[in-house]
Amino acid sequence: MPFDPVANVQLLINGLAIGSIYALVALGFVLIYNAVGVVNFAQGDFVMLPSYVAISFLVPQVAVFGTMMHWQLPVIVAYAVVLVLMVGFGLLFNLIAYHPLRDRGWMPVVISTIGVSIFLRNFAQLTWGSQPLGFPSLFSAETIDFSGLHVRPQDILIIAVTAVLIAFQYFLFERTSLGKQMRATAQDRTTARLLGIRVSRIVAITFVYSVLLGTISGFLVSPIFSVTKEMGGLIALKAFAASIVGGFGSIPGAIIGGLAIGVVETFGGFYVSAAYTDAIAFVILIAVLLFRPQGLFGERVAEKA
Amino acid sequence: MHQNRKKFLVTSAVVATSAAITGFPNIVLGAPEPIRIGLIPPITGSNALLGQQEQDGVKLAVDQINARKGKVYDDRPFEVVTEDATNDNQSAVAALNKILGENIVALLAPVLSTQIQAMAPVMKTHEIPWMTGGTAVKNTQLGVPGLFRLRASDGITAAAMTAFAVTDKKAKKPAILHASDAFGTGGAEQIVMNLKKFNMDPVANEQYPKDTKDFTAELLKIKTAGADALLMYIQNPSDTALILQQIRSNGLKMPIIGSPSLGNQSALDIAKQSANGAYVGLDFIVGFNSSVATKFLTSYYNTFHHQPDVGSGSGWIYDGVFLLADAYRKQKSTDPKATIAALKKTKGWEGVMGTFNCDGEGNMVHAISIGEINDDSIKLVKKVTG
Repeated sequence: MPFDPVANVQLLINGLAIGSIYALVALGFVLIYNAVGVVNFAQGDFVMLPSYVAISFLVPQVAVFGTMMHWQLPVIVAYAVVLVLMVGFGLLFNLIAYHPLRDRGWMPVVISTIGVSIFLRNFAQLTWGSQPLGFPSLFSAETIDFSGLHVRPQDILIIAVTAVLIAFQYFLFERTSLGKQMRATAQDRTTARLLGIRVSRIVAITFVYSVLLGTISGFLVSPIFSVTKEMGGLIALKAFAASIVGGFGSIPGAIIGGLAIGVVETFGGFYVSAAYTDAIAFVILIAVLLFRPQGLFGERVAEKA
Repeated sequence: MHQNRKKFLVTSAVVATSAAITGFPNIVLGAPEPIRIGLIPPITGSNALLGQQEQDGVKLAVDQINARKGKVYDDRPFEVVTEDATNDNQSAVAALNKILGENIVALLAPVLSTQIQAMAPVMKTHEIPWMTGGTAVKNTQLGVPGLFRLRASDGITAAAMTAFAVTDKKAKKPAILHASDAFGTGGAEQIVMNLKKFNMDPVANEQYPKDTKDFTAELLKIKTAGADALLMYIQNPSDTALILQQIRSNGLKMPIIGSPSLGNQSALDIAKQSANGAYVGLDFIVGFNSSVATKFLTSYYNTFHHQPDVGSGSGWIYDGVFLLADAYRKQKSTDPKATIAALKKTKGWEGVMGTFNCDGEGNMVHAISIGEINDDSIKLVKKVTG
């Protein structure tokens, strides 16, 4: 195949856009893993649920439990309402799925998150039906065209919002008391408790923050993916792979891992075969596990000890 | 004495309750025995939308038949036994094995060809009528006795789509994009076979794995190959809608000719103006249908308050229930062998999906339409008979 520079730039932009979504969801995985030491298998559903809730506020002809909703709120108001509702959902998730099981080891909590994931998907089907729903975009379907490139404004928004969120997260963790408490809790919960940090409260805030990351990912990705009850599943799988590639527990690793998987699978689909797009992502994962088990940015286990 | 009476009353209550649950009153009151037919749609999983449409189609047909005088025949009503085929082959086979133990006389099999092919070994061991809307050519060549296909096969659809691309749209460098499942792969093979009749090969033949959301790689390969027409063979309407949007956002300008899911209402709802100008090979176009179909569309809308997906969803299965009812009514029995023999003789039967004529492989429908999409509606371009 002849080298086509325009096609390569197009691939890079689209790869970065999809990689940004993987990175945001991977961040959610890492934050919860660091805070409570378990992988949250409902992370993908944190993308799906708010997308459905938002669509109920935005689109005139959406049936909720078989009843047509006609709210049609302005976009910003709808997003704000959903974010507030998702704060409540994050607290509820912590209260029901994690808090009662927190002293019983990691396995019951993992199973609990799997249970919540199954519940949420079935809840979505019962509430909004099995039909995939189109999510209104802030932009028209027109692309920005220059020099043979066709760029969706939504892709630029995804990359920009991800960059802002990463900067915000850096500021939160490095410059605020709350962020430092979250980091301290992630590093050593017992010591954090001895230092007077209210660990349970910090864990609850971590769950809420993770849900909000999923919510924003949902707002960003739904206009280009449409909303289905399975939409979070594959994103979460890739994001999970991204967090392992980056080094499970590492925040920069989750970001770089997400972007890398998005870009590599897009280029791999073009240069190798689109049929193996998913396989390419997981071949990278296996290669990293074989040759650098701690991931690109992870600490070696011996160093941690 | 008192103890015996109490024991008798308790026993009677238990027997009465059991009888109420098991249908004993029907026997006591002389009510005709229901005719049990099986249904295994995908109730959960990513094809749940299809499953819902199938259940709606069956419910509508069964309610109409059970409401008419004499019901199916001799006042015997239909009773539907349902199991979830979900989204994968193993679950479909498990659902089949379970439902075969439910004393059913016919089965409305899944519409997903991959599930039909996975179920075939079990189906071969049970001689009952099987009705399917699965369009993969191979389905009716698996050696399953009594399997009937109630829609045009992919052979007919792919041939019509290919001929339209080459003769009507003057394509010289056609490309193919298809799903990697049995439906997509089978359809793509048919397109390649039909292109050979025009001495052509596709300039690109791209397949994508299940659950793909970003089609950039596939579409840019098609674009850089210089394709002047794109033939798509895809079952999932959500995939079709996303591809249509991304065709536009990746700057592909060639004519698009898609398999029936491109005309699915949920695909059009999501794709919106991205679907404008696309062509679809469709076994049913609203507004260009028979009076049987018009009656079906009206009843469906009045019952469920939304439009059906006639082709892959509710139309074929509605026809299937009526075909069975007609056969049972004529022969005054539900004997499976006699029913299969009767269905094989179907000729000129008017259903929602068109005129039914059974061929040697059990294919009932042999016509397809090419439609053009514009502003959420589909207009008939031409009809093709295979």
